Amino acid sequence: MAIRWFYAWGLCAVLAGVVRGQESAHPGKAIYSKHCASCHGKEGEGVKDKCDDPLQGERSLSSLTRYIDRNMPEGEEHLVVGEDARNVAEYIMGAFYSAEARANKPSPKMAFARLTNRQFRESVADLLGSFTPWIPPGEGTGLQAEYFQSDGMNKKARKVLSRVDAQLSFDFAAAAPVEGIHPEQFSIAWDGSLLAPVTGWYEFRISTPNGARLYLNGIPQDGDGNHRDDSGGKRQPAFIDSWVSSGDEVRQVGARIFLLGGRAYPLRMDYFKYKEKRGMVRVDWKWPQGEWQVLAAPYLSPARAAHVAVISTAFPADDASEGYERGTGVSKEWHEATTAAAIEAANQVVAKMHLLSGIKNDDPERVNKFREFLQCFAERAFRHPLDQEMRRIYIDSAFAEGAPLEQSVKRAVILILKSPRFLYPQIRAEKDDHTIATRLALGLWDSLPDAALLAAAKEGQLRRPDVLRSHAQRMLQDPRARQKLLVFFRHWLKLDAEADMRKNGQLFPGFDAVMVADLQRSLELFVEQVVWSETSDYRQLMLADTLWLNQRLATYYRIPDVVGDAFKAVPAGQNQRSGIITHPYLLARLAHPDTTSPIHRGVFLTRNVLGGILKPPPEAIAFENHKFDPKMTMREKISEMTRSSNCMTCHETINPLGFTLENFDATGRYRDNENNRPILTESDFNTLEGELLRLKGPQDVAQLAVRSASARRGFIRQLLQSAIKQNPAVYGSDFLHKLDEHFVAQQYHIRNLFLEINLRTALHSINLTPP
Amino acid sequence: MNASSRRQFLRQLGLSAAAMPFLPALPSWAAQKRNAAPVQRLIILFTPNGTVPPDFWPDQVGADFQLKRILTPLAEFKNRMITMKGICNKVRGDGDSHMRGMSCLLTADELLPGNIQGGSDKPAGWARSISIDQEIAHFLQAREETATRFGSLELGVGVPNRADPWTRVNYAGSNQPVAPNNDPYALFEKLYGQVKDRENLGSVLDEVRGDLRTIAKHVDPAERALLDQHASFVRDMEKDLQSAGTQNLLFPPPSLEQGVALDNDGIPKISRMQADLLVSAFANGMARVATLQYTNSVGQARMRWLDIHDDHHHLSHEPDNNRDAQEKLVKINVWLAEQVAYLARKLQSTPEPGGQGTMLDHTTIVWTNELGKGNSHTLDDIPFVFLGGGLGFRTGQSLQFNKVAHNRLWLSVAHAFGHHIPTFGKRDFCQEGALSLG
Repeated sequence: MAIRWFYAWGLCAVLAGVVRGQESAHPGKAIYSKHCASCHGKEGEGVKDKCDDPLQGERSLSSLTRYIDRNMPEGEEHLVVGEDARNVAEYIMGAFYSAEARANKPSPKMAFARLTNRQFRESVADLLGSFTPWIPPGEGTGLQAEYFQSDGMNKKARKVLSRVDAQLSFDFAAAAPVEGIHPEQFSIAWDGSLLAPVTGWYEFRISTPNGARLYLNGIPQDGDGNHRDDSGGKRQPAFIDSWVSSGDEVRQVGARIFLLGGRAYPLRMDYFKYKEKRGMVRVDWKWPQGEWQVLAAPYLSPARAAHVAVISTAFPADDASEGYERGTGVSKEWHEATTAAAIEAANQVVAKMHLLSGIKNDDPERVNKFREFLQCFAERAFRHPLDQEMRRIYIDSAFAEGAPLEQSVKRAVILILKSPRFLYPQIRAEKDDHTIATRLALGLWDSLPDAALLAAAKEGQLRRPDVLRSHAQRMLQDPRARQKLLVFFRHWLKLDAEADMRKNGQLFPGFDAVMVADLQRSLELFVEQVVWSETSDYRQLMLADTLWLNQRLATYYRIPDVVGDAFKAVPAGQNQRSGIITHPYLLARLAHPDTTSPIHRGVFLTRNVLGGILKPPPEAIAFENHKFDPKMTMREKISEMTRSSNCMTCHETINPLGFTLENFDATGRYRDNENNRPILTESDFNTLEGELLRLKGPQDVAQLAVRSASARRGFIRQLLQSAIKQNPAVYGSDFLHKLDEHFVAQQYHIRNLFLEINLRTALHSINLTPP
Repeated sequence: MNASSRRQFLRQLGLSAAAMPFLPALPSWAAQKRNAAPVQRLIILFTPNGTVPPDFWPDQVGADFQLKRILTPLAEFKNRMITMKGICNKVRGDGDSHMRGMSCLLTADELLPGNIQGGSDKPAGWARSISIDQEIAHFLQAREETATRFGSLELGVGVPNRADPWTRVNYAGSNQPVAPNNDPYALFEKLYGQVKDRENLGSVLDEVRGDLRTIAKHVDPAERALLDQHASFVRDMEKDLQSAGTQNLLFPPPSLEQGVALDNDGIPKISRMQADLLVSAFANGMARVATLQYTNSVGQARMRWLDIHDDHHHLSHEPDNNRDAQEKLVKINVWLAEQVAYLARKLQSTPEPGGQGTMLDHTTIVWTNELGKGNSHTLDDIPFVFLGGGLGFRTGQSLQFNKVAHNRLWLSVAHAFGHHIPTFGKRDFCQEGALSLG
């Protein structure tokens, strides 16, 4: 029995139409004043506690007329029908509803925002990281491994082999790991880096009956890699220490760590066997909200990585009420969290202040040099040079009379990171090239400008469109831009959803947590492969008929010829699938444990794919499967449940879209019947442009997503909001239209779109318009 | 604590009253409970690689004895101490002498089989049972009148950053080594919270508020509203920092020298910082049992501050007829005795909180070692010095036992705390019961 909440949706607004603004007193105005203004306001601005949101949207005139005719005013729908409805639609269309009408009014103001939590962590990591050489993340092929014959306390008596190992799971039993080593005693050293895919708390666990130490995101010490058991050489602290065995049993020792996604972390493991019967070692890890799995490629690289300054202080969640995280409010909890985080960062700076500054401990000029270091630190944090007064506040004041140097450094760092100049990136009243640099780095990376960008800003170069573009292109190649785009796609495709995806084990045997992790990976691979291919084609995202599968997934989804754990792209067969729309991860995510959920799927397609805006529901109604005749199909149940005109306001849009996916069960597996009854996917569908379509299946929805300008603008809007964290109207009522024209002209190139969004908003930040 | 000592305390701390609310409120920081039994405390102080017996053991037995060179730094405490010759670590089984000397020192039982190969014997793993300090701490923690915030503290001075039977002396139970805290700054954090950070914060917030005012002048009203809100949080936190609430702390935390490198050459400074932190934690009732571990078994400190450039373990292997090496070893052990003396003096100069006499009257330091002598690796005649009045043993004497198992010594210590366990560690070694030390 599945009980899940579903919602009676209030449909707000959708597609664009082009209607000329009406002069003087339109006949619809009087009707509007009489029947509509009490809830929507005189100018459609909204009325608190009645209809809060302004009356504006993208519906065409015919769509809007139809909507008013059927649904308005709520509860007295008979009052405005027929000709009256058309008149009201025409009037509001010209007066304030459409983008064109709003173009004559001033754009809304840019939201003044603090750093989001992600921006705070990324900025601090890059701020500290900017003082040590940058090392690009390596290929995710595995770890560099060196195999040794050991001799008692000397764990590296003779090197026998170097190679790259793709995963950290070995069972040597009683044998030697490789030829040329005596099985009684040997050691292995793995070295390289960990590529963390997402941000959050990770868990790690070593299982071995032998000895192993794992080092992760440490700061290198002279004694690292020391091969003698009795050495007193200074080593970095082990992240997990399971060096000493006790008897023959396999011991499990674990630890947790907070990591930022999209970055590489230094990782080393030392392992040895000494006279035990069995040689075996395995490292498992668990992502935030993930499942335990063996630590393996593609998350391991033989390349070196530098320590990352990670802030693990917990922050109160950012406001995501508009569907994207933004820093538009402050709270006591946020203030306390940023304080704790500033202290955490300051402790990290002090712990490696000589490494970061390059200043020697015995340098007679060290105090003055540290002032210079901190001034540079502040400039990077504030994204702007310091003037005399700022230097007094942020540097000089920290160097109190007689205070130890460490104390002063710490005080200055806390001061800088608690400063509104760091926390509110757009705080400066004067707009200049640094404003552009700030906007660009936030948009592309959620972080600070790097040295090159800051230098260009200092030289006043960024107003030159060609210079700006070349910087943006350079920055787009950086892993941080890739990560930022990935964060958007994960959110857009609900890969970051926290609720579990458990299914009824009797109905769907084999669909377990490992399968869910594989599905996530499969969808991510598809997105990455499309977005970072040369064409980066949005149409591929919607229309491609391939799936990335490994053997486990292919077996479950009944697709032949996939062998092994590695993923490969394969045709999904018989024109069944169409890009993200039919990806089994989403289909399973948007379903109940026992049954499909056309409502969840329909809402997703409306909002995320076709650019519609659904208001939160006025009331919540539980879908109770057991209350329906079990012989009914899901389509029949949903149609029955939502048939009232009140429901149909929204469900006339939601249901037909959801029904197109009924050929896919609650795990996204293809089916051609439901309880031995044929599946009907076809329905009539009124597009927001006012067009009546016959939707036959997911391919039709995908075609619409590509063909419909309002659907594309929906995608552009979501990408822009995620990247820039502003309402697109801030940049002009036709901003999305212009971006869409560019998008289409550029062959739907997603990365170019992302670049263009960033370029145009960066220029806009100092009131320049792009050429 | 009266007002003037509070001011003194704050001065030493380098703190304004503002930072104080962030000191955690601790029940046992309050004055001693009335009618409670006198406080008893124990500090195990470990130094490695055996001693130089002819320069350590008094020639006489009984109350009339002369201190040899190594113990001369403790001369002022001669009447407060006991030297105990003839105590032997009789534990055999897996592991070399250094491993058993270390990991069986406080556990008095065999090591578990394992994978760590020493210089001789069979490989071994961790200790198989609880160490005496942890045993006593558990006993004290189980009673409301003796329970403290931490129960026990484990401090290190120059202990290498690796965990194995040579580096761990404390065990919470079988297979459960306890790592010593090697970093005085981290220990300060653990004991006294973020006092210093909060102090920094007080002055920081003032500056931040000033700059906020400057910025707010140039922004429009909507932005100013958010900044005003921000400023009000800053103000609230400043107020929190200034509110009273300092009544819980009996004794000031030590003001640590900043920037001491945590490496070999930092050992002399780290040693004092750890001793200061230990005494202040005891004075504030945070624990009654502690271990202060200097390096490790096979410790390789290079005491360059004594103009000795060889490592300690290496020197300890030199034969008796290497006069130069023996002389250096004496110097090393004299220096170690000075560290014991520093700790004792610190306790002696601190009045017992809420009680009679000084803290040394209520604390016993047990100075010990994993070996009797370095070049023979013997586990016989382990250098044991008891110093202070915590256990109520009769001090001011040089004792000579006839090769008794150290299990019996730990029984005496447990019994002195009122913890009347019949055996400790390996049973076979406990047959004759606790040593009579009253």
